[in-house]
Amino acid sequence: MKKTKLKGLDLEIFEETLANGLKVILLPYENKKNYFISYATKFGSTITEFKPVDSKRNIKVPTGIAHFLEHKMFEQENGEDPFTFFSKSGTGANASTSFDNTQYICYGTKNFNENLNYLLNFVNSPYFTAQNVEKEKGIIIEELKMYLDIPDFKLENKLRENLYQKNSRRIDIGGTIEDVEQITKEDLYNCYNNFYAPNNMFIIIGGKFNIEEALEVIKESVSSKEKVKLPKVKDIKEPLKVTKKEESFEADINIAKLAYGVKVPINDISITNKVELDLYLSMLVALVFGSSSEFRERMRNKKLINSLYTQKETIPDYKVFYILASSEDIDLLLKEIKHEFENFTLDQESFERMKKVWIANEVRMTDSVDSYISNLYDDIIGYDKVITNRIDLIRKMKFSKLQKLVKELDFSNYSIVKMVPKEK
Amino acid sequence: MKYIRKNFRTYKLHIIKTKKFKTITIRINFRSPIIKEEITIRNILSEMFTQSSKNYKTKRDLTINAQDLYSVGITTSNTRLGNYINLNFFMNVLNDKYTEKDNFKKSFNFFTDVIFNPDVDNEKFNKEKLDIVKDLCRKSLLSIKEDPAGYSVIRMFEALDKKSPISYRMMGYLEDLDKINEKNLYQYYQKVLKNDLVDIFVIGDVDEEEIIKLVKEKMTFKTLKKERMPYILDEVKPRNKIKKTKETINNNQSKLVIGCRTFNMNEYEKNYVLSLFNVIFGGSSDSKLFKEVREENSLCYTIHSVPNKLDNLLIIRVGIDKENYEKTVSLINKILISMRKGKFSEEDITIAKEYYKTALDDIEENEYRLIDNYFMMELINTDSLDEKRKNIDKVNKSDIIKVAKKIKIDTIFLLEGDINEKN
Repeated sequence: MKKTKLKGLDLEIFEETLANGLKVILLPYENKKNYFISYATKFGSTITEFKPVDSKRNIKVPTGIAHFLEHKMFEQENGEDPFTFFSKSGTGANASTSFDNTQYICYGTKNFNENLNYLLNFVNSPYFTAQNVEKEKGIIIEELKMYLDIPDFKLENKLRENLYQKNSRRIDIGGTIEDVEQITKEDLYNCYNNFYAPNNMFIIIGGKFNIEEALEVIKESVSSKEKVKLPKVKDIKEPLKVTKKEESFEADINIAKLAYGVKVPINDISITNKVELDLYLSMLVALVFGSSSEFRERMRNKKLINSLYTQKETIPDYKVFYILASSEDIDLLLKEIKHEFENFTLDQESFERMKKVWIANEVRMTDSVDSYISNLYDDIIGYDKVITNRIDLIRKMKFSKLQKLVKELDFSNYSIVKMVPKEK
Repeated sequence: MKYIRKNFRTYKLHIIKTKKFKTITIRINFRSPIIKEEITIRNILSEMFTQSSKNYKTKRDLTINAQDLYSVGITTSNTRLGNYINLNFFMNVLNDKYTEKDNFKKSFNFFTDVIFNPDVDNEKFNKEKLDIVKDLCRKSLLSIKEDPAGYSVIRMFEALDKKSPISYRMMGYLEDLDKINEKNLYQYYQKVLKNDLVDIFVIGDVDEEEIIKLVKEKMTFKTLKKERMPYILDEVKPRNKIKKTKETINNNQSKLVIGCRTFNMNEYEKNYVLSLFNVIFGGSSDSKLFKEVREENSLCYTIHSVPNKLDNLLIIRVGIDKENYEKTVSLINKILISMRKGKFSEEDITIAKEYYKTALDDIEENEYRLIDNYFMMELINTDSLDEKRKNIDKVNKSDIIKVAKKIKIDTIFLLEGDINEKN
């Protein structure tokens, strides 16, 4: 296994890609009792049309299929419930689906080898029947309805719908209720067989465990799974323009909400390294809209924000920034946000201070096995590798580079969604 | 891990020495018997510390200074524990080993300065900041229904027992908010300093003597205080006939909340047997409720139960379609009855014990949970983690059946969603 020291963090990371393409990442901790395992596939909600290598035609599947598949993986042919198996050793288990990945996790303090083996096995052995697929629909629809009742969630979905013309992020991860009702076991097998292949998957383990034993369990458990040629996912080019520049809708809320999203093209930007680009962009957001920004102080004093948070996501060719806020005067807040995008200034002192904060947070994060593992997880999803020298990268960041980058960014393609209280 | 407890008469210092963490975490707890009309002002007070201080006049200045100290985190919170309300100050910072010499000391001084040297002039808090905090508080009170799950629990508590602290809204009340001004806020602050019981917890790889010296230098209280009330609420007999109430809301999903009273339980039953009962009944993804209501009958996505031994309660929460209300309630009732009849296996008990022990292991991996554990030992004399590990094994099936018979459904609240949209 390839061993890398995580500088300044008192940790070592071990990596290996098995013959069948499965990527294995191990991060042992000396002083912990617990462990955290994540077994994942790079298959998420955005893939709904693809062409298997041996087929001439594209396969189209209903939206929400990745999430449905996640639920159904817990079904075992022998009728055993994975939760029951893990419970026997007091181990927790769960799973989650995102736009571009699905992960299955287990975490505990006992029975490491058996639990690791079980996790791999249950994800590697699908068992879908017409009946068990049907039974799941009620549960999933209740889950989707639960989200529908959360105003912030609705607002964010609406923004994605208006921001993206083609990208599948237009539709919520769980899919539409209408589509979920249509899902069949054939759809599930189609997706499983094409995307749950070892060369599209990875496993990350952190905490207390024996590295050699873990690797052996993994090899033994997945050896029968062969590398496959991955299907061609329909390439969707996202246009620069947004679908809808502005929209306002009423909801059963008392304080209005505002969502502001900007689609920023990145293909012609001078920073070509993805990791570095993300660091500089996050820095920009932190300096302009972060907790110690002048913007926030000003908004606070004007009582213009109840809450405000920012988010960033990556799609092919673009970085997308979100601001989601609640305010009693969203029109004035909107004016302020627009003004800030056009007139913000950056200062080197804050830049250097923020670097210090990030380095400190990087160290602090390693105290919690699951937070650090989820950090490494995001690296694999975003960059296809774990970033082992992030502290060095942060240290090397230059203010002048940020200034140069800012001049290259085009913030003009934005979309606005307003959620306003219903007239009473 | 080494635990040191010092009683300095006006407050107690607890040091948990461990090399497990790269950070040092401190919690300072102020507590007094809860008074409904004071919840709002206490919330406002706790927010004021994070807005400004005498030495740092704006939230931005406070934030910048915290960032300069390698991102020391300072937060405040108000929580209810039985009959008491707790004002907590938390600080979390990297050990000097990962930053620079004296960073911890500077952080601690900053932390205590925020608490003991607030933005006050002429016995008045800064009005401008108070207005900001009150405005934020008002807006979050107005948005209370945006979290239907949380709101439904509040409403169930109100239906359960309007007079009991159980029903107090920890977010506070709009009518109390208007009464707060910069002057009475300062008086309340003084009252807290004077009357509240105080404990300070420090956890991390620290030097005991250094901590004692630092704490003694910064923490001085003039008055001796004593506990005036027990922490655990008095037991109330469950209603003979279940109370059922509902409220409609413009939502898709309905939230069903069932409040059960627990009664006549001794310490052992409350601390151990009830915990195991709950794991089997509805506390995990392997529980009877999860399996029967969700997996077998597809009635919900979320379902779980949680006991609260300080309030003598057990709460069951489910997200359902309103059409399934009767069916879900009777199914839950059936499962509770089957627990009383002993319809669970020895294996269920073994699994629940493992689950409980893992939760104990988990406590040791988290500095906040560790502090909480020692806090409970201080407050209500709970057993240490090691004692808990031993005692849990004593629980047997007949204990659990006995406890199941001491749990009775009292109040059922439905937050009824009256729309049905398609996403």
